[in-house]
Formats: sequence, structure tokens, C-alpha cells
Amino acid sequence: MLLVLVLWPILCSLLIAVAPARQARQLALGGSLVVLALTIVAAFMFPWDDGASYHSLGLDAVPFLPSLGVEMSFGVDSVAMWLIILTGFLAPLTVWGSFTAITERVRTYYAWLMALNAAMFGVFVARDIIFFYVSFEFTLVPLFILISLYGSSNRKFAAIKFFLFTFLGSIIALAGLVYVAWKASADIEGWTFQIAALQEAARAMTAREQAIVMLAMMAGFAVKVPLFPVHTWLPLAHTEAPTAGSVILAGVLLKLGTYAIFRFVLPFLPIAVNEYAPFVAVLSIIGIIYAGLICWVQTDVKKLVAYSSVSHLGFCVLGMFALNSVGAAGSVLYMINHGLSTGALFFCIGFMYERYHTRSMEEVGGLASRMPVWSFFMVFFTLASVGLPGLNGFVSEFMCLLGAFQSGASDIGAGGTVGQLGPWYAAIAGTGMIVAAMYLLIMVGKVVFGDLREPAGHGDDHGSLPADLTLREIGVLTPLALGCLILGVYPKPVLDTIEAPVAQVMAQLEVEPETMHAATSHDTIVKFAMQAGGSDND
Amino acid sequence: MSLVGAIGNDVLTLAAEAASTASGSGPGWMAAVPLLPLLASALCGLCLAGRIRSKLPAAIVVLSIAAAFAVTLFGFLGRADGAQVITIFEWIGLSWGSGPGETLSADFGFYMDGLSWLWMLFVTGLGSLIALYASEYMSGDKGYARFFAAFALFVFAMACLVMGDNLVLLYLGWEGVGLCSYLLIGYFYKRPAAVAAAKKAFIVNRIGDLGLAIGVFLTFVTFGTVEYDELFRMIDEGVAANGQPLEELWQTWTIPLLLMVGAFGKSAQLPLYVWLPDAMEGPTPVSALIHAATMVTAGVYLVARMFPLFVYDGVPHYALNTIAWVGTLTALFSATIGMAQFDIKRIMAYSTVSQLGYMFAGLGFLTTTGAAFHVFTHAFFKATLFLCCGAVMHGFAGQLDLRRLSGLIHMKGWLIVSLAMLVGCLNLAGFPLITAGYFSKDMILSQAFTTPDSIVPYSSLMGWILLITAGLTAYYTFRVFFRVFVGPVEYEPGDEVHDHGHDDHDTHDEHGHDHGFHPHAPGWAINTVLAVLAIASFAAIGTYFVDKDHHGWVGGLLHDSSAAYHAPAHEHHAAAPELKHGGVMLTAADDHGHAADEHAASHEAGHDDHGGAHAEAGTLFGQDPHAVMYYVSAAFGIVGIFIAWLLHYAGRKTAAKSKADLLLPFLGPIPTWAQNKWYVDELYDILFRGPLWLISHLFHIIDRLLVDGIVDGVGGIPRALARSLRVGQSGILQNYAVGMAGGLGVLLLIAWILTVAG
Repeated sequence: MLLVLVLWPILCSLLIAVAPARQARQLALGGSLVVLALTIVAAFMFPWDDGASYHSLGLDAVPFLPSLGVEMSFGVDSVAMWLIILTGFLAPLTVWGSFTAITERVRTYYAWLMALNAAMFGVFVARDIIFFYVSFEFTLVPLFILISLYGSSNRKFAAIKFFLFTFLGSIIALAGLVYVAWKASADIEGWTFQIAALQEAARAMTAREQAIVMLAMMAGFAVKVPLFPVHTWLPLAHTEAPTAGSVILAGVLLKLGTYAIFRFVLPFLPIAVNEYAPFVAVLSIIGIIYAGLICWVQTDVKKLVAYSSVSHLGFCVLGMFALNSVGAAGSVLYMINHGLSTGALFFCIGFMYERYHTRSMEEVGGLASRMPVWSFFMVFFTLASVGLPGLNGFVSEFMCLLGAFQSGASDIGAGGTVGQLGPWYAAIAGTGMIVAAMYLLIMVGKVVFGDLREPAGHGDDHGSLPADLTLREIGVLTPLALGCLILGVYPKPVLDTIEAPVAQVMAQLEVEPETMHAATSHDTIVKFAMQAGGSDND
Repeated sequence: MSLVGAIGNDVLTLAAEAASTASGSGPGWMAAVPLLPLLASALCGLCLAGRIRSKLPAAIVVLSIAAAFAVTLFGFLGRADGAQVITIFEWIGLSWGSGPGETLSADFGFYMDGLSWLWMLFVTGLGSLIALYASEYMSGDKGYARFFAAFALFVFAMACLVMGDNLVLLYLGWEGVGLCSYLLIGYFYKRPAAVAAAKKAFIVNRIGDLGLAIGVFLTFVTFGTVEYDELFRMIDEGVAANGQPLEELWQTWTIPLLLMVGAFGKSAQLPLYVWLPDAMEGPTPVSALIHAATMVTAGVYLVARMFPLFVYDGVPHYALNTIAWVGTLTALFSATIGMAQFDIKRIMAYSTVSQLGYMFAGLGFLTTTGAAFHVFTHAFFKATLFLCCGAVMHGFAGQLDLRRLSGLIHMKGWLIVSLAMLVGCLNLAGFPLITAGYFSKDMILSQAFTTPDSIVPYSSLMGWILLITAGLTAYYTFRVFFRVFVGPVEYEPGDEVHDHGHDDHDTHDEHGHDHGFHPHAPGWAINTVLAVLAIASFAAIGTYFVDKDHHGWVGGLLHDSSAAYHAPAHEHHAAAPELKHGGVMLTAADDHGHAADEHAASHEAGHDDHGGAHAEAGTLFGQDPHAVMYYVSAAFGIVGIFIAWLLHYAGRKTAAKSKADLLLPFLGPIPTWAQNKWYVDELYDILFRGPLWLISHLFHIIDRLLVDGIVDGVGGIPRALARSLRVGQSGILQNYAVGMAGGLGVLLLIAWILTVAG
């Protein structure tokens, strides 16, 4: 089943590439609806009671290079399953939402869009490192093409920057993963790249090895998240990308980074993670506030939402490195929630852009009187993004902050847990909630409310589109709005099902106290960091 | 089990839970109270989408809130003693162990005790009346359905806040009412002032919310639960979830301080009050319901709800003392601003801030009954006052300047408004004996002099400040009445821009502004609501005389709630003198000397019981404050009204000028400063907004130049390489190859480091 999930989008992609251009849209929409259907079937097949173990839902593995011990193996736990559901849910929406935005070279566009889905599914279903890494890297190619061919004015630069930045990062991560594979293969003939085997090997490494491997992995995954200070590719890529590209980028691709941290960094390297959790948390908090304040002075509405992603994912990483169940569960939930609300915001902005061909809040504003339906959705998703209780963002943000608060607070009270953070981390990160209210409401205040402002010479000409949203556009936004509402009011199905895998990872994070602070020589790490930083620059 | 199975199971357990609660601790149909307004809000949304321009949305909302009131009343009459817990469904739940504090659980459920009943009764009751008023007031406005959707949503959120059985659900309601406040302040979204005010309200509230959120986190870490039932049980037993006694924990006094910050934000206390006066940009029914009667009292509710922790004995009562001082100073401060304003709606806004200060002071003096009673009476008379201002605004094309209106009572069709205004003003001014506002304010004032300094230091000083403020209140209240409603008939219409509620004024064009403006007297809905509210404001006195044992009906309700929490009896009397006081005060606090002797006796009895600290109980002019306060506060109120009469009524010939102007030369710049709100907004701009704005720009520049610059410079090398190998699709493969080589290099580097350095 999981193999079908990966292969079907590839098949669609090829089909679209050879079919006549006139049929590309319909083929893509049909194909992506089948993707959604396959996701739903997979969700039905998945044994949710046993969410902590991996299930292949059919074929376990395909031999790939048997002599080297490489095989493509599949398996998902409930965390991966939820992210697959998110991906499958967004697939038809991104296709449908692009109908009027993309009018040239449609075949290339939809073919790569479908290929992107395959790559994302690959990341979530992979149970071996090679398959994982190939999928992880392959996501870059479609997005690179989508940005460089279909983006706005500065698209070439943005695409190359995006590509190089994330690519160089993930190569370093690959180095770390290969080192672990090398350790794991020490006692056997040939190689093993199975994640389970690698996990064993990684956990057996010394504290120093773990620290170095963590640095390597984080170099790759943090770029993808993106974590401060390696976030600068994101605002540019988002601003230049076509709408669907932004939606997928914010919706799923950023989550590949946090997912990889959850899947590899936490269970592989418990000693290093415990040691360096405060460091990562501080970076997240800086990102939350720094990016939030930058949002405040943006005039480009798309860039504003892009920076807000940096700020929001800071909460997600903070929750993860709280190293307790509430934080981690909140973090996983955050991945889904952010995908819905920010993805939807990018759709809204895209729909506005199609009509006005500008994203500047100086030029466009007060659209409530021109586009009431659009304004409703814009305000709705902004509120979800602000973390308004009753909508989805709140539950996850609350849990991430509570997780950080509890972390290491077991001496304060029974509600405290193990972990390396503490109340102050949550208190300082919490100011991000105020900053988020500031920039998002200012955005809404300018774009939606106030006197109507339209670009000079715009008049009533919206191209082929009516002033307000078409039924198709409403159809794209409504499922997302419902998702935000349902997960805000009733997050229980998600929380219940991710409880077990989260608990498992948390159990794997427990380390003997004496192993910590033991063998790690900070000098070596600093030296290495400088060298790694240097090689990053090559 | 499949996904659907999982969800199906949830539904089943949900149904089972609903069934079990229906027969168990409380009636499940109480869920109708929040859900009816929610449904109404959704229906209004549909009306909005269907572009229905009739009065249908108003009818839906009025009926649904009235139905919610009926359900509340029904539930209230059939309530059991003590608190009822009603669980509707599981909202947030996560478990990471089976020990105490290892399960996070926040249900969608209700905790109904005297406190929540009281609040729900006036929220739904006033809500339905004000919705009826709004049905006329907002008629003809394009956003009719939008208004009522947000209005009903507000009642839903307020119900969650008040009825919620845990702090997270309270937080949901807390932010939810904030949202509705945001949407309704910014209702006239084309006006920049309204949009700015809405934004300000939300952001300032968020500052308080952060305090509340951290307070909730700390509560969870300490007690391992956020559910009131569990919390109160543990506080009662005096141990935290890990078995430590609460006296030894710093959290015991820190949690109240954090919750207090949230309360200050929502209830517009210093220094977070700045949003409330600006919130008057919203339509007047909103000002009456949200920004006077209900939402802004949520802070009082929060403190009263968590009162057991605020008065917990054996730890310093920093939060209570701060609340007393902040309340007192807020009352005085905003009264001084209110005295200098000319916009009658703004005057009412500052008076709301000021009266909220009284309520907080009452909480600080340990009289939750006084605070809650004042919330209750204030809800009625302040709603009356705002709705009267709204009627004036409605009728005079947005005119609110007291220098441009005069003698309304003599005009045809304005009698009911003027009389209702008089009732509201008398209540607000605390006119003796005939007004409920007088009794509720007295309860707080006399408590200031009763509470011994050992519990609340300088409480009698605060009492004097509050008394003086009561005089100021009487003055500025009747300044409005004497200027606008009596005296010579004179008026000037406002400009259309300020005409709240009328985007398209076509239907009223027969007024013809060019050839003489005719005021538009209110119709039946507004008059009915005003009459009912005015009567209710009076009738609220009655609640003071029933249930003598608990000093009024409100006291009786609070006695049956967490706000009347009595500190647990300790074995070590001597070790915990404050506790005894806390306990005594809570019972004695509500004493208000109708039968002064009886109360004095019970006082003494109380003190005797607990080691006789009689001398510590405060006095006023050597008498029992409860008895004397009747005369003292009456005197302050009447003097205030008299000065207002002297300066603003006696001998006044025109609307614009009064004798008060004669005083101006003697006061120097002070009236101007007060009129400009003591420049607090400007101060905040300089202190906070400005620096933050600079930092943000700095960050933006750093982000663009430094971080980006380095990366671009570095990225330029392979880019140049890639360009030389032709950019485009073939370039990608080349990049890949270059990257792969680079990756191999890194790999070798790591191996080298590990072998050499390791």
C-alpha cells in the first residue's frame, strides 16, 4: 500500500508529461484525488491501536542493491501516518488552487507537482536511510523547478538560493547518517541502512560521537525547518514561489525537517540531545521573537507570512526539545496545524495576488468591502495562525509551551517532567504570542480592513477573475477551514493516536545521568563546528 | 482498530459520558447555554453568506440568548447545593504515566457553583436585552448579520469562560471574548480609528493573557491538574500534587500573581487599561454588553474563582495586596480622566475602568461578596448608561459632545431615555438609599476600613482614596446629566461619519441635514429595553435585602462557591494568625451593618473564636465602619452631585458654557493634561512601541544584509560555478554532482576528525 502511495504520483507525473497539455489540469486533479483516496484507504488500513510500531500495510520491502544490503523498506507509525494524511489532503487542493494561476507550460507544472507528492510520501514511509535520504533530497528538484519557472520576478535567484542552501545542509546530514550506518555495519558483512539497526548503533555511540553526529544532522534538518539563523532562504523562496509551491513548502516540506528531527535526532542520539536541548531551544526562541519582530515591519504580505512560519516553527522545535510527552505531542500536532493554517494563508494571498498582481500592503488594502468572502477566510486563517483557542493553532502552541515549561521542572511540582528546559524558556517564548498578535492583526488591519486601496489603474479589471472568490477558490479554502476548526475543537483523535509513539520516543530519550557531561569535549565540538561551518561555505 | 473505529469509539464514549453526567453530577442539557448562541452565530453566518438583509439574524440571536437565559434560570432554580461538575466531552487529553501530574486533561465541561450561576444569569439576561436593543439600533446597517454573528459568538465564549470546569477552557473563553471584542470594536472597519482600537485591545489583552497562560502552566506543574474540582480539593487539603505542603511552595503566591496579570488585562486595570476607552469605537450595544457589563468583569471572576489560592494562608499575599492597590489607584486615576472628557461615551468608559477598580479593591479587601455584588449592580446600571448614550448617539447623528447637547428631557420622545439616564447616574453616583450602586459600593468601602492592616496594609488609606473617588464619580456622572439631559434645549447634530449604525442613511434622508436637523427619537425596542434595565437597576436593591444570613442574594450565591472559600482549620492557631483573619474576614467581610449590633456581635464572636485580635479590626471615626459608611459615602456622593449641579446646571444658559469654565484659569494646565489622559498612550509609545519598532527594523536590516549577505556571498561561489556550466535544468544535475562531492568531502572530514582527535 505504501509503495502504491509513492508510485501512483510518479505514474501520474509521467502521464501528465506525455498527455496533451489541454488535459494536464484534469489529469492532475483526477490523479491527486486518487492520491487523496489512497491516503484515506491507507488511513483505514492502518492499525491505530498500535501506532507506536511501524506497519508496512502490505509489502515490507523491495530489494534494491542486495549485495550492499540496501533495500527499500516501508513502514509508518501513527505520526508518519498523520503527516501522510496531511500531504494527501493538500494534494488535490494545491492542484485545484492552481487552475487559473498557471496558464503556461501546464504539463511541466503539474507533472512536477505530482512528483513532489511522491517524494514527500517517500520521506514519510521510508524505513531505510537511503530511501529516506533520496526522497528527502528529491523534494528539492520539483520545488526548484516550480520556483524557477513559475515564480515571480526574482525567481531564479530565490530558487538557486533555496536549492543550494537546503542541499548543502542535507549533505552534512547525510554525512552524519552515513557515519552511523558505518558504525552499524562494523560487525556485519556488507552494509545495513535499516533505520532500526542504525538506531541501535547510534545509541551505542559515545557522547562525543553523538554530539558530532547531532551537529551534522541538525545542520541539515535545521535548514529545512528552518531554524534561526539558517532561515534566510525561506522568506525569499516563499515570496517568489507560485502559490501552490508556497502552500506545499509551508504545509509539508518544512515539516520534513521537524519530522526528521523527531525520527532520527531524538531517538538516535539521546545523550547529545539531552546535553544540547537548551542550545537548540534558545535558537528556537530567538527565532520566534526575531522573526516575529521582522514580520511586524514587513510590507510584503507574503513575506510576512513566510517569516511568521519561521516564528511558528520555533514553537514546534521548542516543544520537541522540551523532551517530554506534552511538548513532543504538541510539536507533532503543530506540524499538522501549521500545515493547514499557514498553507491556507498562502492560498488566500495567492488568490489576492492573482487579482492585483501585487503583494504590497501599501498598494492593496481594505479589501473587506471588495472581497468579503475572501476577507472572511483571511481573517479566519489569521486567527488560527494567531493561536486563537477553538481553532487548531491554540492546542499545539499551548502544548509546546506547556511542554517547555514542564521540562526539567520536576523539582517544582508533580506536573514537572524530565527535560533540560524550564519555566523561563516558556515564559520568554510566550512573548511570541504577543508578537504574533501584533504582526498578524496589523496585516489583517491593513489588507482586510480600512479604506479600500487598489493599485493605480486597476479599476474593476481583475483579469478573468471576478472581484471576490470563485466557487473553485471557496472549494479550496473550505476544507482547510474545516480542518482548522475540527482540530481546534476536537484534537483528541490525533492526540490519542500519537500518544504511543511519542511515549516511545520519550522512553528512548532517557539516559543514565552519568553518561551525560561525560565524554563530550566542548573544544572538539567547537573546533569541528568551525570546520563544518567552513566546509558549508565551499 | 481503524481510524474510523477510533473516532466511532470516541463518539460512543462521548455519548456514554453525556448519558452518565445527565444522571450524575449535573444536567447535561446545560450544554445548551453555550451551544445555543454558538448555533445562532453559525446561522447568522449563513444569513451573511446568503446576503439576507432582513432582521432575521437579530431575531435568531435574541431568541437564542433568551433561550440560553431560560435554560440557565431553569438550571439555577433546580440546582443542587455545592458545585456541580458537568462533563460534555474530552477536549485535550494526554497521558505519560499514571502518577499524579502525569496526565494533562482539559475537558469541555462545566463547573457550576454560585459564582458561575450568578455570572451566567446576568450574562445571558443582559445579553438578550441588549441584543433586542441592538436589533433596532443596528437596523439598516450593511453588516447587520455580521454584527449579530459576533454578538452571539461572544455570549458563547463568555459562557465557556464562566462555566468552564478547568483553566484551559477558561482560557479558551478568555481569548474567545477577546476575539469577539476585537471583531466588534473593529466593526466599522472602514474607520482607521476603529481598526486601530480593535488591534490595540487584542494586543494589550494578549499581554495579560501571557500572564494567565504562564499561571495556568505553573498551576498544572504544581497541582498536576487544571480542573477546579481537583484544584480546590488539593488546596483544601493544603498539599501539592507531589505531597509538599502548600505553605512551603513559592508557587502558592506566584500563581495568584500571574493570574492577576491576566485579570488586569481583561478588566482594564493599571497599567493595562489603555485599550478600554479606545474600545468605544465599537457600536454602543457592544460597549454596553462587552465593555461595561460582562467581558471586563472576567478578571473579577477569575480572581473570585481562584480565590482559595489568593487567600491561602501561610504564604505572603502579594497578589491580594497588589490587587487592592491597583484597584484603588485605577479607580482614582481613571476618575480624574473621566472628569475632563467631553465625549459622554468616553466618560462612561473611564467610569467603567474606575468602577472595575472598585471591584478589584473589594477583592483585595477580601470581600468577594462586595466585589461580585458591585459587578452585578454595575452590570445593570452601566448597561443602562451606555444604552442611553447610544440612544443619544443614534438620535443626534453621532453627537456625543456634552457641550453641544442640552435639555433632552424637554424634547418629545426623549423622556424614557432621560429618566433611564437619571436612574443610571444615580446608581453610578451612589445616591443613598434608593440605588443599588450605593449599597454595593458601600460594601467595598466599609470593608476597606474593617480589614485590619495586618492583612491588607494601609487599607484605610485606600478606603479614603476610594471615598474621594466616589465623590469625583458623583461629580462627573452628574456633570453629564446636568449638561445633556436637563437645562435649556439646544443641540447640534454630529457629522455623519460618527453616525454609528448607519452606513447607508438613505432611509433617514427625510431629516435633511441642510434644512434643519431633527433628532430621531428612539423606537419601541430601545425604549422597552431602557425601561426594563432602569427598573432592573432599581430592583437590584432588592437582592440586598433577601438572604440576610449572607448579606444579600449575591452573598448567598457566593457563599456557595469557590469565592467564599474558608481557609482550612489548622491545628496551629498561633502559627497561622493570618489564616484566622482570612477566615474571619471572609465571613465578616460581607457583614454590612443593617443590624449593626448583630454584626458587631458576630464580629466579636468571630474574633473571640480565633484568639481575639479584636483591636485589629479597623474603625471609622471610632465606629463600626459598616454602620458609619452609610452616612459617610452618602455625604461624598451628595456633595459630588451638588458640585456638579452648581457648576453645570445652576444658571446655565447655553449648552457650551457653564460655570465650570470659570474655574479653568485657576487650574492651569491640569484639565488639559487630564483631558489628554495624562499622556499615558504617548508614554507607552515612547517606552515600548518606539524601541520595539526600532529593534524590529534593526532585525530586518540585519536579516537582509548580514545573514543574507554572508549566505549569498558564500552561495555565490557554486552559483558562479553553476552558471559557468549553464543554468537551467542541466545545471541542477551539475549542482548535484558538485554537492555530492562536497558531501563526500564532509564525510571524509568527519572520519578524519574522529580518527585523529579521537
